[in-house]
Amino acid sequence: MSIEVAVLILRALAGLSLLAFLFILFLIVWRSMRQLDRQLQASRANYGYLIRRRRDSTKTDSERYQLDAITTLGRSAKNSIVVEDDFASAEHARIILEDGQWWLEDRRSKNGTRLNSAVIDQRTLLANGDLIGIGKLTYQLALNRQIDASAS
Amino acid sequence: MRPSVELQNTRLLHILLHVVAGLFVFAGMASISLTRTSGSGVWNAFAVWIACALAGAVLLNRYLPAHDRLLFPLAMLLSGWGLVVIYRLAPPFAERQAFWLVISVGALLVVALAPHILSWLRIYRYVVLALALLLLLATIVFGRNPSGFAFAPRLWLSLGAFYFQPSEIMKIILVAFMASYLGEQSAAIRADAHDGARTRSLSPRLVGPMLLMWLLSLVILVWQRDLGAATLLFVVFLLLLYLASGDLRILLGGALLIIIAALAAYHLFDVVRLRVDIWLNPWPEADGRAYQIVQSLMAFGAGGIFGAGVGLGSPGYIPVAHSDFVFAALAEEWGLLGVICVLSCFAVLALRGLKIGLAHSGRAFHKLLATGLTMMLFVQALMIMAGVLKLLPLTGVTLPFVSYGGSSLLVCFTMIGLLLRLSTMDTPTRRAGGR
Repeated sequence: MSIEVAVLILRALAGLSLLAFLFILFLIVWRSMRQLDRQLQASRANYGYLIRRRRDSTKTDSERYQLDAITTLGRSAKNSIVVEDDFASAEHARIILEDGQWWLEDRRSKNGTRLNSAVIDQRTLLANGDLIGIGKLTYQLALNRQIDASAS
Repeated sequence: MRPSVELQNTRLLHILLHVVAGLFVFAGMASISLTRTSGSGVWNAFAVWIACALAGAVLLNRYLPAHDRLLFPLAMLLSGWGLVVIYRLAPPFAERQAFWLVISVGALLVVALAPHILSWLRIYRYVVLALALLLLLATIVFGRNPSGFAFAPRLWLSLGAFYFQPSEIMKIILVAFMASYLGEQSAAIRADAHDGARTRSLSPRLVGPMLLMWLLSLVILVWQRDLGAATLLFVVFLLLLYLASGDLRILLGGALLIIIAALAAYHLFDVVRLRVDIWLNPWPEADGRAYQIVQSLMAFGAGGIFGAGVGLGSPGYIPVAHSDFVFAALAEEWGLLGVICVLSCFAVLALRGLKIGLAHSGRAFHKLLATGLTMMLFVQALMIMAGVLKLLPLTGVTLPFVSYGGSSLLVCFTMIGLLLRLSTMDTPTRRAGGR
């Protein structure tokens, strides 16, 4: 009789300790994820933004994308900015930071990349406020002044 | 600042994790000693387990302070759980398993704390690979099976009273070799892939090793009838190749190769045909060749949500439940709760392992090694858990840490040791974060 009670208590103990183990495990994982997220946010340099504008619409449905040192644009989901336009190639263009300057590069796209409405045929220097055109979409470069000044 | 308080909290949580794991294993061992008459050696095994856990935790904490704090407790919980299940199913084997646990934790500490292991693995990769292939060849020639059946696959080398399975050690060596090879080639592979995007052709640097690995897996399959090891090695290798190249066609091509090999093997080998047939429909032969898998399914059903209780279920109906079917025995006595816990443990293990790989984004060898080892453990666990549940054809691999098997335990702990070592290295991200 007493053995049965003891076994029952042990079963409860086993179940509870399993649940406790799971709880602590997930707590630790969740915390480390949160910490990693904070670290990543802090370490990511705030270079500036690309602001999307649709060319043929009167309403302003602009969207901001954070700029990375290498920002790729294209229709494929692999790109840092996915261009949802029928005229965009899968890997369309690239914006890169090199020698403290921002450059626009066409990646052999089918319909070309425009810079301030002129189609570019080679790597071109960018300036703040430039308009980059892909298909029907236009992206405006909005650089963060402080970072820009400290880099040069 | 907040972080110091949070850090202390986290330390407390990690200690608590060990304590709770100890409590769980204690509850299991105590139930066995109460419900079984011949449970005298149980407390010895528990003492061995506690000693291993304490020694490991203290030494790692002291000499490797920056290591990943979840991997070791997870491995210890699973292996302690394994000890309980093996004691409950086959007491004579449990003492041997406890002995192997000591060796395994020792190996983990050596690998994690010794200074040059990783660079040796990289520099002497051909020597190590040659040794491993020699071992494999020796198994093909001199191999035997401890159970002594004439038709059983001969995968073991005997060393006195102890048997060792060379295909287990191949897991570590092949992952290390591939990581080192692909790491060295990674720049060239990426460049080829970039050109290949235009010409739509695959680099010979990728196709060559892929075919070679496929042939090696076939050799293991044909000569050793070791379906599990062959599948596991090839799948993990494909994942590594995909990781190194980022080319989706590797996965598609690999899947095609697996299908070709599977179709051929189905028609050529009875072992494979049997496994597939009883996977598709075990019920006509529930009393014959499919007895094991059917009993395993019954065990899952009998377990329910909270399980029958340690020593109170009847997993004895499953033949040799303590090795490949340990997951079914566990499901019967700990129920859905236990199954979810085991799954979570492996999921977190994979998560942390991949995180270690991600932290080495600048070093191809370390990244591939961490990911490869993690995938090896995770795919193996997935294969046998799905096999026991009849979600996949049964491939005879062990459930890492839990199943009975000395070589398997030793290799799994060594892998964790390598991962711990990789987790402490001064990574680029960490340096950037500390600035």
